[in-house]
Amino acid sequence: MDAQIALLQIGIPLALLLLGYFIGSAVERRHYASIREQELRWRSLPAVNFRTVPRGWTVEDSTLLMGNVVISVDYFKRFLAGLRMLFGGRVKAYESLMDRARREALIRLKVETVEQGYHALVNVRMETSRMAGARGGNSVAGVEVLAYGTALKLRSRPT
Amino acid sequence: MNFDPSLPDEGINVSRSHPLREALLLVLGVIGVTVAVVASIGFAVDWVAPLIPPDAEVYLFADSFDPAAEQAEPDAARVEALRGILDRVSAHWPDSVYPFRIQIWDEAQPNALALPGGTIAVTTGLLDTVTSENELAFVLGHELGHFHNRDHLRGLGRGVGMTLVMFAVGIGGGGGAAQLAGIAGQLTQRGFDRDQESAADAFGLGLVAAEYGHTAGARDLFEHLRQSDDGSALSGYLSTHPLHQDRIDRLEAVARAAGWPLTGKRSALDSVLRAEPTELAAPGQSAPDE
Repeated sequence: MDAQIALLQIGIPLALLLLGYFIGSAVERRHYASIREQELRWRSLPAVNFRTVPRGWTVEDSTLLMGNVVISVDYFKRFLAGLRMLFGGRVKAYESLMDRARREALIRLKVETVEQGYHALVNVRMETSRMAGARGGNSVAGVEVLAYGTALKLRSRPT
Repeated sequence: MNFDPSLPDEGINVSRSHPLREALLLVLGVIGVTVAVVASIGFAVDWVAPLIPPDAEVYLFADSFDPAAEQAEPDAARVEALRGILDRVSAHWPDSVYPFRIQIWDEAQPNALALPGGTIAVTTGLLDTVTSENELAFVLGHELGHFHNRDHLRGLGRGVGMTLVMFAVGIGGGGGAAQLAGIAGQLTQRGFDRDQESAADAFGLGLVAAEYGHTAGARDLFEHLRQSDDGSALSGYLSTHPLHQDRIDRLEAVARAAGWPLTGKRSALDSVLRAEPTELAAPGQSAPDE
Protein backbone atom coordinates (compact mmCIF):
# COMPACT_ATOMS: atom_id res chain seq x y z
CA MET A 1 0.00 0.00 0.00
CA ASP A 2 2.83 2.32 0.94
CA ALA A 3 4.63 1.44 -2.27
CA GLN A 4 1.55 2.19 -4.36
CA ILE A 5 1.09 5.60 -2.79
CA ALA A 6 4.74 6.42 -3.40
CA LEU A 7 4.45 5.28 -7.02
CA LEU A 8 1.46 7.58 -7.47
CA GLN A 9 3.40 10.43 -5.89
CA ILE A 10 6.13 10.02 -8.46
CA GLY A 11 3.98 8.75 -11.31
CA ILE A 12 1.42 11.54 -11.55
CA PRO A 13 3.89 14.43 -11.86
CA LEU A 14 5.93 12.32 -14.28
CA ALA A 15 2.87 11.65 -16.42
CA LEU A 16 2.01 15.36 -16.42
CA LEU A 17 5.56 16.19 -17.43
CA LEU A 18 5.54 13.76 -20.34
CA LEU A 19 2.13 15.01 -21.44
CA GLY A 20 3.38 18.59 -21.27
CA TYR A 21 6.47 17.68 -23.22
CA PHE A 22 4.79 15.89 -26.11
CA ILE A 23 1.79 18.15 -26.47
CA GLY A 24 3.85 21.26 -25.87
CA SER A 25 6.41 20.28 -28.50
CA ALA A 26 3.68 19.64 -31.05
CA VAL A 27 2.01 22.98 -30.32
CA GLU A 28 5.34 24.77 -30.61
CA ARG A 29 6.20 23.11 -33.92
CA ARG A 30 2.86 24.06 -35.38
CA HIS A 31 3.19 27.62 -34.16
CA TYR A 32 6.63 27.98 -35.68
CA ALA A 33 5.36 26.66 -39.02
CA SER A 34 2.61 29.25 -38.98
CA ILE A 35 5.06 31.99 -37.99
CA ARG A 36 7.45 31.19 -40.82
CA GLU A 37 4.67 31.05 -43.35
CA GLN A 38 3.32 34.42 -42.26
CA GLU A 39 6.74 36.07 -42.11
CA LEU A 40 7.25 34.96 -45.69
CA ARG A 41 3.93 36.41 -46.70
CA TRP A 42 4.43 39.82 -45.08
CA ARG A 43 8.13 40.26 -45.55
CA SER A 44 7.79 43.03 -48.12
CA LEU A 45 6.04 45.30 -45.63
CA PRO A 46 8.78 47.42 -44.05
CA ALA A 47 8.75 47.50 -40.27
CA VAL A 48 11.69 49.51 -39.05
CA ASN A 49 12.92 50.94 -35.82
CA PHE A 50 13.75 54.46 -37.12
CA ARG A 51 12.29 57.21 -35.00
CA THR A 52 11.97 59.50 -38.00
CA VAL A 53 10.52 58.91 -41.42
CA PRO A 54 13.28 57.99 -43.87
CA ARG A 55 14.09 60.60 -46.49
CA GLY A 56 12.33 59.95 -49.74
CA TRP A 57 9.12 58.67 -48.19
CA THR A 58 6.14 60.97 -48.70
CA VAL A 59 3.64 60.41 -45.94
CA GLU A 60 -0.05 60.94 -46.53
CA ASP A 61 -1.43 59.47 -43.36
CA SER A 62 -0.15 57.95 -40.14
CA THR A 63 -1.54 56.26 -37.07
CA LEU A 64 -0.45 54.17 -34.08
CA LEU A 65 -1.08 50.46 -34.49
CA MET A 66 -0.55 47.55 -32.13
CA GLY A 67 -0.19 43.81 -32.31
CA ASN A 68 0.02 41.63 -29.25
CA VAL A 69 0.04 37.99 -28.28
CA VAL A 70 -0.13 36.05 -24.99
CA ILE A 71 1.60 32.69 -24.94
CA SER A 72 1.83 30.22 -22.09
CA VAL A 73 4.41 27.56 -21.32
CA ASP A 74 3.60 23.91 -20.87
CA TYR A 75 4.19 22.08 -17.60
CA PHE A 76 7.40 20.47 -18.80
CA LYS A 77 9.03 23.79 -19.72
CA ARG A 78 7.99 25.35 -16.45
CA PHE A 79 9.51 22.43 -14.53
CA LEU A 80 12.75 22.72 -16.52
CA ALA A 81 12.93 26.46 -15.93
CA GLY A 82 12.39 25.93 -12.20
CA LEU A 83 15.32 23.53 -12.07
CA ARG A 84 17.46 25.87 -14.13
CA MET A 85 16.73 28.69 -11.68
CA LEU A 86 18.45 26.63 -8.99
CA PHE A 87 21.71 26.40 -10.85
CA GLY A 88 21.73 29.48 -13.07
CA GLY A 89 22.53 29.69 -16.75
CA ARG A 90 20.47 30.09 -19.88
CA VAL A 91 16.85 29.16 -19.41
CA LYS A 92 16.59 27.49 -22.81
CA ALA A 93 13.03 26.42 -22.12
CA TYR A 94 11.87 30.01 -22.22
CA GLU A 95 14.02 31.07 -25.18
CA SER A 96 11.66 29.59 -27.73
CA LEU A 97 8.70 31.04 -25.85
CA MET A 98 10.07 34.59 -26.12
CA ASP A 99 11.17 34.08 -29.71
CA ARG A 100 7.74 32.90 -30.75
CA ALA A 101 5.96 35.64 -28.87
CA ARG A 102 8.08 38.43 -30.37
CA ARG A 103 7.75 37.19 -33.93
CA GLU A 104 4.05 36.55 -33.59
CA ALA A 105 3.45 40.01 -32.16
CA LEU A 106 5.33 41.60 -35.05
CA ILE A 107 3.37 39.53 -37.55
CA ARG A 108 0.11 40.62 -35.99
CA LEU A 109 1.22 44.23 -36.14
CA LYS A 110 1.97 43.84 -39.84
CA VAL A 111 -1.35 42.13 -40.49
CA GLU A 112 -3.13 44.97 -38.74
CA THR A 113 -1.18 47.47 -40.83
CA VAL A 114 -2.14 45.81 -44.09
CA GLU A 115 -5.75 45.40 -43.11
CA GLN A 116 -6.03 49.08 -42.27
CA GLY A 117 -4.51 49.98 -45.61
CA TYR A 118 -1.15 51.33 -44.50
CA HIS A 119 2.10 50.69 -46.30
CA ALA A 120 4.94 50.83 -43.79
CA LEU A 121 5.76 50.88 -40.10
CA VAL A 122 8.27 53.12 -38.39
CA ASN A 123 9.39 53.39 -34.79
CA VAL A 124 8.49 49.81 -34.05
CA ARG A 125 8.86 48.94 -30.34
CA MET A 126 8.13 45.90 -28.24
CA GLU A 127 7.00 45.54 -24.65
CA THR A 128 7.07 42.30 -22.70
CA SER A 129 5.13 41.52 -19.60
CA ARG A 130 5.14 38.36 -17.52
CA MET A 131 2.07 36.49 -16.43
CA ALA A 132 2.64 35.25 -12.90
CA GLY A 133 1.76 31.65 -12.22
CA ALA A 134 -0.47 30.19 -9.56
CA ARG A 135 2.28 30.24 -6.99
CA GLY A 136 2.77 33.96 -7.32
CA GLY A 137 6.27 35.36 -7.43
CA ASN A 138 8.50 32.68 -8.89
CA SER A 139 6.39 30.76 -11.31
CA VAL A 140 5.89 32.04 -14.85
CA ALA A 141 2.57 31.10 -16.41
CA GLY A 142 3.06 32.91 -19.69
CA VAL A 143 4.25 36.03 -21.38
CA GLU A 144 2.59 38.83 -23.29
CA VAL A 145 4.44 40.71 -26.02
CA LEU A 146 3.06 43.93 -27.41
CA ALA A 147 4.50 45.33 -30.68
CA TYR A 148 3.51 48.84 -31.59
CA GLY A 149 4.57 51.38 -34.13
CA THR A 150 3.56 54.23 -36.36
CA ALA A 151 1.86 53.02 -39.52
CA LEU A 152 2.34 55.24 -42.58
CA LYS A 153 0.27 55.63 -45.72
CA LEU A 154 2.69 56.62 -48.44
CA ARG A 155 2.01 58.38 -51.69
CA SER A 156 4.73 56.38 -53.40
CA ARG A 157 5.60 52.90 -52.17
CA PRO A 158 9.22 52.51 -51.06
CA THR A 159 11.46 50.52 -53.39
CA MET B 1 16.65 54.04 -49.26
CA ASN B 2 16.65 50.51 -50.44
CA PHE B 3 14.37 48.18 -48.56
CA ASP B 4 15.62 44.63 -48.85
CA PRO B 5 13.31 42.32 -46.94
CA SER B 6 14.89 39.24 -45.41
CA LEU B 7 13.60 36.50 -43.17
CA PRO B 8 14.97 36.09 -39.63
CA ASP B 9 17.57 33.40 -39.04
CA GLU B 10 16.44 30.44 -37.03
CA GLY B 11 18.59 29.25 -34.19
CA ILE B 12 20.08 32.59 -33.16
CA ASN B 13 17.64 33.50 -30.43
CA VAL B 14 16.78 29.91 -29.65
CA SER B 15 19.42 27.42 -28.50
CA ARG B 16 19.61 24.23 -30.45
CA SER B 17 19.62 21.72 -27.60
CA HIS B 18 17.21 18.90 -27.05
CA PRO B 19 14.97 19.67 -24.08
CA LEU B 20 14.94 16.06 -22.89
CA ARG B 21 18.71 16.02 -22.66
CA GLU B 22 18.69 19.23 -20.64
CA ALA B 23 15.91 17.82 -18.48
CA LEU B 24 17.96 14.71 -17.75
CA LEU B 25 21.01 16.74 -16.80
CA LEU B 26 19.09 19.09 -14.53
CA VAL B 27 17.09 16.33 -12.85
CA LEU B 28 20.22 14.30 -12.17
CA GLY B 29 21.88 17.46 -10.88
CA VAL B 30 19.07 18.24 -8.46
CA ILE B 31 18.84 14.65 -7.24
CA GLY B 32 22.62 14.45 -6.85
CA VAL B 33 22.88 17.70 -4.92
CA THR B 34 19.90 16.86 -2.69
CA VAL B 35 21.21 13.39 -1.88
CA ALA B 36 24.68 14.79 -1.16
CA VAL B 37 23.37 17.55 1.11
CA VAL B 38 20.90 15.34 2.98
CA ALA B 39 23.48 12.58 3.42
CA SER B 40 26.03 15.11 4.72
CA ILE B 41 23.52 16.45 7.19
CA GLY B 42 22.75 12.87 8.23
CA PHE B 43 26.41 12.08 8.88
CA ALA B 44 26.98 15.37 10.68
CA VAL B 45 23.99 14.67 12.93
CA ASP B 46 25.26 11.15 13.60
CA TRP B 47 28.55 12.65 14.67
CA VAL B 48 27.05 15.33 16.94
CA ALA B 49 24.26 13.34 18.60
CA PRO B 50 26.42 11.19 20.89
CA LEU B 51 28.17 14.33 22.13
CA ILE B 52 24.98 15.62 23.73
CA PRO B 53 24.68 14.17 27.24
CA PRO B 54 21.59 12.00 27.90
CA ASP B 55 20.70 14.12 30.91
CA ALA B 56 20.12 17.08 28.63
CA GLU B 57 17.86 14.97 26.43
CA VAL B 58 15.82 13.82 29.41
CA TYR B 59 15.56 17.38 30.67
CA LEU B 60 14.34 18.67 27.32
CA PHE B 61 11.85 15.97 26.40
CA ALA B 62 10.68 14.16 29.53
CA ASP B 63 7.67 16.39 30.05
CA SER B 64 6.75 17.36 26.52
CA PHE B 65 6.26 13.85 25.13
CA ASP B 66 3.95 12.27 27.63
CA PRO B 67 1.17 11.03 25.36
CA ALA B 68 -2.46 11.51 26.20
CA ALA B 69 -3.54 9.29 29.03
CA GLU B 70 -6.63 8.16 27.14
CA GLN B 71 -4.43 6.26 24.72
CA ALA B 72 -2.85 4.30 27.53
CA GLU B 73 -4.61 1.21 28.75
CA PRO B 74 -5.57 1.47 32.39
CA ASP B 75 -5.04 -2.25 33.12
CA ALA B 76 -2.37 -1.96 35.78
CA ALA B 77 -1.65 -5.68 35.93
CA ARG B 78 -0.55 -5.86 32.29
CA VAL B 79 1.53 -2.71 32.61
CA GLU B 80 3.14 -4.15 35.75
CA ALA B 81 3.98 -7.43 34.03
CA LEU B 82 5.50 -5.59 31.09
CA ARG B 83 7.38 -3.34 33.50
CA GLY B 84 8.87 -6.46 35.09
CA ILE B 85 10.25 -7.66 31.78
CA LEU B 86 11.59 -4.17 31.01
CA ASP B 87 13.38 -3.96 34.37
CA ARG B 88 15.03 -7.32 33.85
CA VAL B 89 16.16 -6.50 30.33
CA SER B 90 17.36 -2.98 31.10
CA ALA B 91 19.38 -4.28 34.03
CA HIS B 92 21.91 -5.40 31.42
CA TRP B 93 22.36 -1.75 30.40
CA PRO B 94 23.54 -0.31 33.70
CA ASP B 95 24.62 3.10 32.36
CA SER B 96 21.18 4.24 31.28
CA VAL B 97 19.96 7.48 32.82
CA TYR B 98 16.48 7.53 31.29
CA PRO B 99 13.45 7.23 33.59
CA PHE B 100 11.74 4.50 31.59
CA ARG B 101 7.94 4.35 31.61
CA ILE B 102 5.76 1.69 30.07
CA GLN B 103 2.46 2.31 28.34
CA ILE B 104 0.12 -0.09 26.58
CA TRP B 105 -1.89 1.37 23.72
CA ASP B 106 -5.12 -0.19 22.52
CA GLU B 107 -4.42 -0.65 18.81
CA ALA B 108 -4.88 -3.68 16.55
CA GLN B 109 -1.70 -3.07 14.56
CA PRO B 110 1.33 -4.66 16.25
CA ASN B 111 3.71 -1.86 17.06
CA ALA B 112 6.09 -0.59 19.69
CA LEU B 113 7.39 2.94 20.08
CA ALA B 114 10.15 4.68 21.94
CA LEU B 115 9.11 8.23 22.77
CA PRO B 116 11.59 10.96 23.62
CA GLY B 117 12.09 11.28 27.36
CA GLY B 118 11.92 7.61 28.29
CA THR B 119 8.42 6.34 27.53
CA ILE B 120 8.09 3.02 25.74
CA ALA B 121 4.67 2.19 24.30
CA VAL B 122 3.52 -1.25 23.17
CA THR B 123 0.24 -1.88 21.36
CA THR B 124 -2.25 -4.56 22.29
CA GLY B 125 -1.86 -5.83 18.73
CA LEU B 126 1.74 -6.69 19.48
CA LEU B 127 0.83 -8.37 22.74
CA ASP B 128 -1.61 -10.52 20.76
CA THR B 129 1.05 -11.47 18.24
CA VAL B 130 3.80 -12.70 20.56
CA THR B 131 3.74 -16.17 22.08
CA SER B 132 6.74 -16.12 24.43
CA GLU B 133 8.39 -13.72 26.83
CA ASN B 134 11.55 -13.75 24.74
CA GLU B 135 9.81 -11.96 21.90
CA LEU B 136 8.54 -9.19 24.16
CA ALA B 137 11.96 -8.88 25.73
CA PHE B 138 13.47 -8.39 22.28
CA VAL B 139 10.89 -5.72 21.43
CA LEU B 140 11.68 -3.83 24.61
CA GLY B 141 15.39 -4.30 24.01
CA HIS B 142 14.98 -2.84 20.53
CA GLU B 143 13.26 0.23 21.93
CA LEU B 144 15.98 0.54 24.56
CA GLY B 145 18.42 0.43 21.66
CA HIS B 146 16.82 3.59 20.26
CA PHE B 147 17.51 5.37 23.51
CA HIS B 148 21.03 3.99 23.66
CA ASN B 149 21.83 5.16 20.13
CA ARG B 150 20.24 8.61 20.69
CA ASP B 151 17.96 8.03 17.72
CA HIS B 152 15.49 10.71 18.77
CA LEU B 153 18.12 13.38 18.59
CA ARG B 154 19.32 12.11 15.25
CA GLY B 155 15.82 12.11 13.86
CA LEU B 156 15.25 15.62 15.13
CA GLY B 157 18.51 16.86 13.62
CA ARG B 158 17.80 15.26 10.28
CA GLY B 159 14.30 16.70 10.28
CA VAL B 160 15.65 20.18 10.83
CA GLY B 161 18.21 19.65 8.09
CA MET B 162 15.61 18.42 5.63
CA THR B 163 13.38 21.39 6.36
CA LEU B 164 16.23 23.79 5.64
CA VAL B 165 17.09 22.04 2.36
CA MET B 166 13.47 22.04 1.22
CA PHE B 167 13.13 25.69 2.15
CA ALA B 168 16.20 26.61 0.13
CA VAL B 169 15.10 24.58 -2.89
CA GLY B 170 11.60 26.00 -2.69
CA ILE B 171 12.90 29.53 -2.79
CA GLY B 172 15.41 28.92 -5.57
CA GLY B 173 13.49 26.69 -7.92
CA GLY B 174 9.82 26.25 -8.62
CA GLY B 175 7.30 23.76 -7.29
CA GLY B 176 8.58 20.99 -9.52
CA ALA B 177 12.11 21.28 -8.21
CA ALA B 178 10.87 21.26 -4.63
CA GLN B 179 8.84 18.11 -5.25
CA LEU B 180 11.76 16.36 -6.91
CA ALA B 181 14.19 17.32 -4.17
CA GLY B 182 11.61 16.32 -1.57
CA ILE B 183 11.29 12.81 -2.97
CA ALA B 184 15.05 12.36 -3.33
CA GLY B 185 15.66 13.70 0.18
CA GLN B 186 13.02 11.48 1.74
CA LEU B 187 14.38 8.33 0.13
CA THR B 188 17.89 9.24 1.32
CA GLN B 189 16.54 9.73 4.85
CA ARG B 190 14.90 6.31 4.74
CA GLY B 191 18.35 4.79 4.39
CA PHE B 192 19.44 6.45 7.62
CA ASP B 193 16.24 5.37 9.35
CA ARG B 194 16.78 1.76 8.30
CA ASP B 195 20.35 1.81 9.60
CA GLN B 196 19.06 3.11 12.90
CA GLU B 197 16.57 0.28 13.13
CA SER B 198 19.27 -2.30 12.43
CA ALA B 199 21.46 -0.82 15.14
CA ALA B 200 18.56 -0.92 17.59
CA ASP B 201 17.94 -4.53 16.60
CA ALA B 202 21.54 -5.45 17.36
CA PHE B 203 21.42 -3.72 20.75
CA GLY B 204 18.17 -5.47 21.65
CA LEU B 205 19.71 -8.77 20.62
CA GLY B 206 22.61 -8.17 22.99
CA LEU B 207 20.27 -7.48 25.90
CA VAL B 208 18.19 -10.58 25.15
CA ALA B 209 21.29 -12.76 24.87
CA ALA B 210 22.50 -11.43 28.22
CA GLU B 211 19.14 -12.09 29.89
CA TYR B 212 18.19 -15.49 28.46
CA GLY B 213 21.47 -16.88 27.12
CA HIS B 214 20.10 -17.19 23.59
CA THR B 215 18.46 -15.09 20.88
CA ALA B 216 15.56 -17.26 19.72
CA GLY B 217 12.96 -14.61 20.63
CA ALA B 218 14.09 -12.25 17.88
CA ARG B 219 13.50 -14.72 15.08
CA ASP B 220 10.16 -15.79 16.51
CA LEU B 221 8.97 -12.19 16.60
CA PHE B 222 9.77 -11.52 12.98
CA GLU B 223 8.27 -14.80 11.86
CA HIS B 224 5.03 -13.81 13.58
CA LEU B 225 5.09 -10.28 12.18
CA ARG B 226 5.86 -11.50 8.69
CA GLN B 227 2.43 -13.07 8.42
CA SER B 228 0.97 -9.61 7.79
CA ASP B 229 3.68 -8.21 5.56
CA ASP B 230 3.67 -7.97 1.75
CA GLY B 231 7.47 -8.00 1.58
CA SER B 232 8.10 -6.74 -1.96
CA ALA B 233 11.55 -5.34 -2.58
CA LEU B 234 10.09 -1.95 -3.53
CA SER B 235 8.19 -1.65 -0.26
CA GLY B 236 11.44 -2.50 1.50
CA TYR B 237 13.27 0.34 -0.20
CA LEU B 238 10.49 2.80 0.53
CA SER B 239 9.90 1.89 4.16
CA THR B 240 11.60 3.15 7.28
CA HIS B 241 12.13 -0.35 8.66
CA PRO B 242 14.04 -3.05 6.80
CA LEU B 243 12.08 -6.03 5.55
CA HIS B 244 11.50 -8.77 8.05
CA GLN B 245 13.66 -11.33 6.24
CA ASP B 246 16.50 -8.80 5.99
CA ARG B 247 16.25 -8.14 9.69
CA ILE B 248 16.31 -11.86 10.47
CA ASP B 249 19.37 -12.37 8.28
CA ARG B 250 21.20 -9.43 9.79
CA LEU B 251 20.40 -10.49 13.36
CA GLU B 252 21.60 -14.02 12.71
CA ALA B 253 24.84 -12.60 11.37
CA VAL B 254 25.25 -10.41 14.47
CA ALA B 255 24.48 -13.34 16.78
CA ARG B 256 26.91 -15.60 15.01
CA ALA B 257 29.66 -12.97 15.13
CA ALA B 258 29.12 -12.46 18.86
CA GLY B 259 28.82 -16.15 19.60
CA TRP B 260 25.25 -16.06 20.94
CA PRO B 261 23.20 -19.24 20.48
CA LEU B 262 20.34 -18.90 18.00
CA THR B 263 18.04 -21.39 19.65
CA GLY B 264 17.07 -22.11 23.21
CA LYS B 265 14.21 -22.61 25.60
CA ARG B 266 11.48 -19.97 25.33
CA SER B 267 10.20 -18.49 28.56
CA ALA B 268 6.42 -18.59 28.91
CA LEU B 269 4.43 -15.39 28.71
CA ASP B 270 2.84 -14.12 31.87
CA SER B 271 -0.85 -15.10 31.59
CA VAL B 272 -1.97 -11.56 32.32
CA LEU B 273 -0.30 -10.43 29.09
CA ARG B 274 -1.99 -13.01 26.88
CA ALA B 275 -4.80 -11.96 24.56
CA GLU B 276 -8.27 -11.40 26.00
CA PRO B 277 -10.77 -14.03 24.75
CA THR B 278 -12.98 -11.37 23.15
CA GLU B 279 -10.19 -9.95 21.00
CA LEU B 280 -9.45 -11.32 17.52
CA ALA B 281 -6.57 -13.76 17.51
CA ALA B 282 -3.85 -13.38 14.88
CA PRO B 283 -4.04 -16.04 12.10
CA GLY B 284 -2.29 -19.22 13.12
CA GLN B 285 -2.34 -18.26 16.76
CA SER B 286 -3.61 -20.80 19.25
CA ALA B 287 -6.54 -19.70 21.40
CA PRO B 288 -5.43 -18.47 24.80
CA ASP B 289 -6.28 -20.86 27.57
CA GLU B 290 -8.51 -19.49 30.27
